[in-house]
Amino acid sequence: MSLVLDMNPPSSTSKYSVILPTYNERKNLPIIIWLIAKTFTEHQLDWEIIVVDDASPDGTQEIAKQLIGVYGEDRILLKPRAGKLGLGTAYIHGLNFCTGEFVIIMDADFSHHPKFIPEFIKLQQTYNLDIVTGTRYRKTPTPRLADSVTPAGGVYGWDVKRKLISRGANIFADTVLSPGVSDLTGSFRLYRLPVLRHIISLAQSKGYVFQMEMMVRAQALGYTVGEVPITFVDRIYGDSKLGADEIVGYAKGVFQLFAGV
Amino acid sequence: MTRAQRVLATAGVVAIGYALLFFSILPVPLLEPEAVDSILPVLPWWALVTFGAYCLGRLGWHVMTIRDCPEAYHELMSEISAAKNDLRAKGVTVD
Repeated sequence: MSLVLDMNPPSSTSKYSVILPTYNERKNLPIIIWLIAKTFTEHQLDWEIIVVDDASPDGTQEIAKQLIGVYGEDRILLKPRAGKLGLGTAYIHGLNFCTGEFVIIMDADFSHHPKFIPEFIKLQQTYNLDIVTGTRYRKTPTPRLADSVTPAGGVYGWDVKRKLISRGANIFADTVLSPGVSDLTGSFRLYRLPVLRHIISLAQSKGYVFQMEMMVRAQALGYTVGEVPITFVDRIYGDSKLGADEIVGYAKGVFQLFAGV
Repeated sequence: MTRAQRVLATAGVVAIGYALLFFSILPVPLLEPEAVDSILPVLPWWALVTFGAYCLGRLGWHVMTIRDCPEAYHELMSEISAAKNDLRAKGVTVD
């Protein structure tokens, strides 16, 4: 059973390309593609998924090929790479094959649910935005939508310590960078294709700092950005470790953006 | 101009303005000299403490009000089961 989020779904004749970078996602890939396909089909949107696999040793690419058999070569494109080359370059690689007017980037580990994609599209159409980003920290979309569902957004699987660290990091980045978005490290976003191309060509950092850099550069270049609350279900498989190294790396990344953009 | 340059420039202007008032090069209008003498020297510290309190307040408020969404988790789990069954029926290897 899928939860229909609002009574006025978006109607659009644009095509939406989803870039899914994968590494060892044999278990998750079929399910996330099933969810994405279902969402787009239910909302009668034109879509494609570009799977950028970094030579996963667990057979992710075989599963992708089976899925091409189920959904069609025009819907699922498998564009592998020779090795583990990083997220930013995965997007650049995927962008070469996008035939849609809009690009959606998201994680393949179920922390991002495709059911929010129609919400992104609706906000983008209402205000003709260049970028829409999902946020874990807001309860209503911005700019405001008249018929948005409340309550919305949130996280699952975060204890108080994790919430403190996350919110603390967010406030730190917000103070230093004033990026204009509430969730700077989020990676569930909708971009206009030429906008994504432009920003990615300027980006220099890696990892989640890369996601921050995209938002900061977008703001500096004057692109319009909206936010939609999303539910973030964290790490249903496996643990995440947030160590001192990562915190230092994060602070360094924020200062590099402060001084560099 | 990078954000760092803008922030430093603004900070510079504010610092010069404050120094001019502090060293009485410019007079402070509307207040008596005794009041000015007791307020001006502590103004930067007050600003720092206020900023710190504001940040802590924001942090505490958001940690208290961020929404937990167990319903999203349960919905996701049932969707994953449905997906696995459907995909197996279509011939995809699902672990």
